[in-house]
Amino acid sequence: MATILVVDDSASMRQMVEFTLKEAGHQVMVAEDGQAALNVAKGASANLVITDVNMPNMDGITLIRELRTLPAYKFTPILTLTTESTTEKKMEGKDAGATGWIVKPFNPEKLLATVNKVLG
Amino acid sequence: MTKATRPATPFKHLRLPEFGHMSSYWDSVQNVEVVRILAGEYYVTHCQEMITTVLGSCISACVRDKVANIGGMNHFMLPEENRPGGDQGHRGLSADAAYGSYAMERLINCVLKYGGRRENLEIKIFGGGRIMGGMTDIGLQNINFVRSYLRTEGLNIAAEDVGGDLPRRMAYLPATGKVLVKRLRNVRSETIIKQESAYRDDLRRSENRGGEVELFGDFG
Repeated sequence: MATILVVDDSASMRQMVEFTLKEAGHQVMVAEDGQAALNVAKGASANLVITDVNMPNMDGITLIRELRTLPAYKFTPILTLTTESTTEKKMEGKDAGATGWIVKPFNPEKLLATVNKVLG
Repeated sequence: MTKATRPATPFKHLRLPEFGHMSSYWDSVQNVEVVRILAGEYYVTHCQEMITTVLGSCISACVRDKVANIGGMNHFMLPEENRPGGDQGHRGLSADAAYGSYAMERLINCVLKYGGRRENLEIKIFGGGRIMGGMTDIGLQNINFVRSYLRTEGLNIAAEDVGGDLPRRMAYLPATGKVLVKRLRNVRSETIIKQESAYRDDLRRSENRGGEVELFGDFG
């Protein structure tokens, strides 16, 4: 079972994703924006990060870039979970170092299947 | 009295890029450009535009930041009929929560993306009428969802006109926050029920497809 950092400015989304991952046996850390997530990441390691893109203080794309500069997160899988679905945004995420891109609405089964895939 | 004429340069060229495809018309009574949204759609503007829709059991949330002068409206309903003790979907999580959150987040995110701030948001909710027969009050489920969602998000409801047994025609002016609501006593509910049923069927098919996943690498 993995430790997963979930980042979303929506409390409803954080609750749904946290519930789904915990039900699957994972440990979950949560943060409400990119800056808070970066602070969490500097103090604790995670096996996977799942982040929203549009957030105040620090958006998801900037968070991914920042995480990739931390030795502990250089190769950690990072998935986005977002309402953004344009090719431009996806490419921005890919260039920043995202491992994959999941478009909302949130689908628990697909999220868990993707989590299992990227965790190997 | 002379009627105001449509401005020589309507707001279409000022549209936010997400909404460039949406059509509009000039309302010479209200003297305003009007964008009509259908079930499943949303619209956000920073112009003096009016957003209209017709609601049966669906919900529209009106969200604006009056300081940043940006606001918009959505029109949605939940895809499932939740019966007490019924199947709530995967591991207790209903597809309703996922879709409803998505519909609300899409609107709020767009307002925030174009300068709105969460702490300045003024939110009003409308609709959720009981216009369909049957055991389940779908309108009430939609009302309960949106109230619960906003409570979880820590967002207050500034005004609401929900429930009842008549459809509503409503119009929202994000620039002023003004909302016009008309109860439709003489409109055949069957037409609205048919449209909402078709929307719900479509949502259920969308649920089966689920969120699109793209992995940037080889994961076997």
